Amino acid sequence: MGMFNRRQFLVGAAAAASASSIGLAACSGGGSSDGSATLSFGWWGNDVRNRETDQAIKAYMKANPKVTIKQQPGEWDSYWDKLSTEVAGKNAPDVIQMDMAYISQYAKNGTLLDLSQYGVDTSKFAPATVDSGKIDGKLVGINAGINSLTILVNPELFEKAGVDLPDDTKWTWDDYLSLSTELQAKGPTGTTGTQCAFPTDNMLQIWLRQNGKDLYTADGLAFTADDLAQYLDIMVRFMNAHAMPTASAINEEVGKSIDQTAFGTGKQGFALYWSNQLEAVNEASGTTMKMLRPPTVAGDATKLNGYYKASMLWSGYAGSKDPEAVGKLINWWVNNTACAKICLDERGTPANTEIVTAIESKLTAAGKAAVAYLDDIKPGLGKTPAAPPAGSSQIGDIMQRHTNDILFGKDKPATAAPKIVSELQAAIKSAQ
Amino acid sequence: MTSTLATPRTTDRPAGPDPHRIGRRRRRGVGSTVWSVVKHLILIGCSLLMIYPLLWMLVSSFRPTNTIFRTPGLWLHNPTLANYTHGWHALTSPFGQYLINSGIVVLGAILGNVASCSLAAYAFARLRFRGRTLWFAIMLLSIMLPIHVVVVPQYIIFNNLDWVNTFIPLILPKFLATDAFFVFLMVQFIRGIPKDLDEAARIDGCGHWGIFTRVVLPLMVPAIATTVIFTFIWTWGDFFTALIYLTSPDKYTTPVALRSFLDSTSGSDWGAMFAMSIVSLLPVFLVFLFGQRYLIKGISTTGIK
Amino acid sequence: MSAISELTSLRRTRAKTAAERQQQRKENGRDNKAGYLFLLPWLVGLVVITIGPMCASLYLSFTDYNLLQPPKWAGLANFREMLHDTRLHQSLKVTFIYVFVGVPLQLALALVIALALDKGMKGLSFYRSIFYLPSMLGGSVAIAVLWRQIFGTDGLINQALRLVGINAHTGWVSDPSYALGTIIILHIWTFGSPMVIFLAGLRQIPTMYYEAAAVDGARRWARFSKITMPLLSPIVFFNLVLQIIGAFQSFTQAFVVSGGTGGPSDSTLFYTLYLYNRGFANLQMGYASAMAWVLLVIIGAFTAINFFASKYWVFYDD
Repeated sequence: MGMFNRRQFLVGAAAAASASSIGLAACSGGGSSDGSATLSFGWWGNDVRNRETDQAIKAYMKANPKVTIKQQPGEWDSYWDKLSTEVAGKNAPDVIQMDMAYISQYAKNGTLLDLSQYGVDTSKFAPATVDSGKIDGKLVGINAGINSLTILVNPELFEKAGVDLPDDTKWTWDDYLSLSTELQAKGPTGTTGTQCAFPTDNMLQIWLRQNGKDLYTADGLAFTADDLAQYLDIMVRFMNAHAMPTASAINEEVGKSIDQTAFGTGKQGFALYWSNQLEAVNEASGTTMKMLRPPTVAGDATKLNGYYKASMLWSGYAGSKDPEAVGKLINWWVNNTACAKICLDERGTPANTEIVTAIESKLTAAGKAAVAYLDDIKPGLGKTPAAPPAGSSQIGDIMQRHTNDILFGKDKPATAAPKIVSELQAAIKSAQ
Repeated sequence: MTSTLATPRTTDRPAGPDPHRIGRRRRRGVGSTVWSVVKHLILIGCSLLMIYPLLWMLVSSFRPTNTIFRTPGLWLHNPTLANYTHGWHALTSPFGQYLINSGIVVLGAILGNVASCSLAAYAFARLRFRGRTLWFAIMLLSIMLPIHVVVVPQYIIFNNLDWVNTFIPLILPKFLATDAFFVFLMVQFIRGIPKDLDEAARIDGCGHWGIFTRVVLPLMVPAIATTVIFTFIWTWGDFFTALIYLTSPDKYTTPVALRSFLDSTSGSDWGAMFAMSIVSLLPVFLVFLFGQRYLIKGISTTGIK
Repeated sequence: MSAISELTSLRRTRAKTAAERQQQRKENGRDNKAGYLFLLPWLVGLVVITIGPMCASLYLSFTDYNLLQPPKWAGLANFREMLHDTRLHQSLKVTFIYVFVGVPLQLALALVIALALDKGMKGLSFYRSIFYLPSMLGGSVAIAVLWRQIFGTDGLINQALRLVGINAHTGWVSDPSYALGTIIILHIWTFGSPMVIFLAGLRQIPTMYYEAAAVDGARRWARFSKITMPLLSPIVFFNLVLQIIGAFQSFTQAFVVSGGTGGPSDSTLFYTLYLYNRGFANLQMGYASAMAWVLLVIIGAFTAINFFASKYWVFYDD
């Protein structure tokens, strides 16, 4: 990763150097900077994101000398513990990097600002990318970057095994299964066909949407136990056909970072990722992976019924002493080219289409591929789903537990599905 | 007794007198040499088993990040220092800053724990006062409650005192003997010190303070060394408290900083993480190497009677 | 005086007559002033830092509290839910296995190694440091990676098994039948802390007892059982009590190894790990507090039993 980091760092530094002038120009038109403000700014990420965010914050402070921003970087796993403790102590950061999985929970309890009242401009955003942050009619999260699910494929491994890559505009789930099986059989020793993404809600959502359903309504589940059982049967077929790793190897993948996974170490044919993760996967594996549209039930990629997901969002803390300044900062972050040139697409392809045009030439090959992929899947896009209801963030945990029982032969899809559904319903109910 | 003690000692050994050897002198011969070799072989075998994972980490810290999980075993092909040079500067501040922060917290915690816990322990072990048993029970109860349910109320207290993002919440509790582990540890040690010594000191005109400082403390060196070593290691490695209370990156302690290399949603820089883990383990290892001498130093016989 | 008879005479002072006990009771308030003065820092800490949050968590255990909104009174609902919570029962099972298997094994190993390392032999401080190294890692995230390197599907153990012709396909750390076992091994692997305490305790045994025993011609076993064990018993007791408390609260190792889930299939779902997940991941701090107080009662009971039993085997010189 080292090389890439440093290069990106240099790009960021160069952008920051020029940012002061651009930033000033952009902000002088922006409005009444009457008062000084001290804001705290919390986010999660790795050292690359931390450095870029630091650069961008410094650029903003240079452009707005009266504003002081205190940084609160963190990493995903502990970020939420800290945030909930801080909210309990009424001491949360003014600007909060938010995730779709948690936004309802925080919004429902009145923790987040309605940013539409504080001058955040979303007029240049791609269609449907604003809605992800709307809860009960309030704009509590601003899309910080978009991505979409993609099946990554390792072309080198396919070549070695002498298996042809699928045509991703036409492939079906059955094709996915047969290709994985074939690759696992023909590939070098230790090769597995596909990552087992079935226990994730992401894979489930892809399948559900193709069948005219979805994961959630605004306050509950949009699928039945029967739907789920049918879906889990697919997983069992993959398992029985030896198209994916053994049950315990699948388990070991959980919580591994990309470079430790079977796919990241070049031993696996397919894996499900977000489009903005391509860069990281390529870095980790040393292979240029190819992005495929997910398989469809109909064998027609225009019937994918996909959507652009907010990879993360910007939210403001309702307890902030200076909500105006919060709104101004977030507005700058998502609409200002100077900021975008520092952060590029690290948080996902920007939702502001003009920004994408402005930075596209600076993106890496993988970044450009992600932009192209988002463009490619346009014919197959459907309605943006409702934000997951509060309490639903447990779905990953619940699914993982019960699919494990199936993988280890202790349960069957038909009996596991109702358990998953009832546990999930209970979790959502208790959070309401 | 004198004759036994006067026996010349042949092998090198730690500073203190070694009582266990005394009786063994008689059974020396081929058998014992073989036994000694076997014993060393066993110990070396165990040692390797113990530290294999650590060796793996050490080796990994010299490998480029993207090959760490692709190359098994301990063989090092093209060792590189890149992880160290890159890791040191990868975060918002140079890694040295986090080591210094950890150092400050650890030093405060050690001073606090040694001072406050030994006072409380002396009271519990030696003094007769009303409510002693009750207080002792409360003290033990206080460490039985899982920290995760008290962390939020505690955060609210420290936040109201405006001490969030300072080292105070990490250090002050140690000066107030909240680490009951060490109080209890010292109680057990003090109770092992013969009471005749207190009596002797009392006859010499010492009050409780005098007995505490002149008799008990000097005899508690192994317990104090244990407290210092443990406080160092636990505080050095404490992630959760530091995470909650320290918000700005320039105040982070090493465990929080180490986590910055990892983020399960974006990429993780394992090479840098391992390299900096090794760097942050060094002080701990040195403290143990140095501190263990005080565990070995026996109490001289003359000190007792 | 021989060491053995000296010890017996010390023991004899414990067996007081009724009259002596009466006098003892009168003496219990002897050092009131000094006692509270020495205890002052701890008392301040108790009042300012400890008691408040403890009481708060007790109150919260009767509420519905999601951290984001003020708590709502829920009566005994949390405790009632615990009766039917199958994951909670699973976590109790896991924790009890861990306590009853892990603690004795770790303590025994720590004691044996401490006794072995207490003797004067070459390379002593080297071994001591090596054996302590794993404990220094603490709850470092590196542990998770290291553990997979050893117990994973392609880990060290399976590689070794393959060398001898056994083709193992299961990852020990990721198979529900073995995962808890690997965490118990991890616990035993970090026996350094009790070992250090044992070492410190051994150092505190006055050498004169051994010297005297040597004069008496006491054998190795006699020295061990008549001098070392009785005089070390307060330290053994300390380690036992606190290792049990610590094991019941065990969190970090399972958290790190399972990535916080307690998986696979809840096989490493430790009580406090489940408590933490309910409290912070699911934002059900009321329920988590109720769980914490139930745990406190369980640990308290075990500690009380320990203290009661200690009268029969722990020897104090006072």
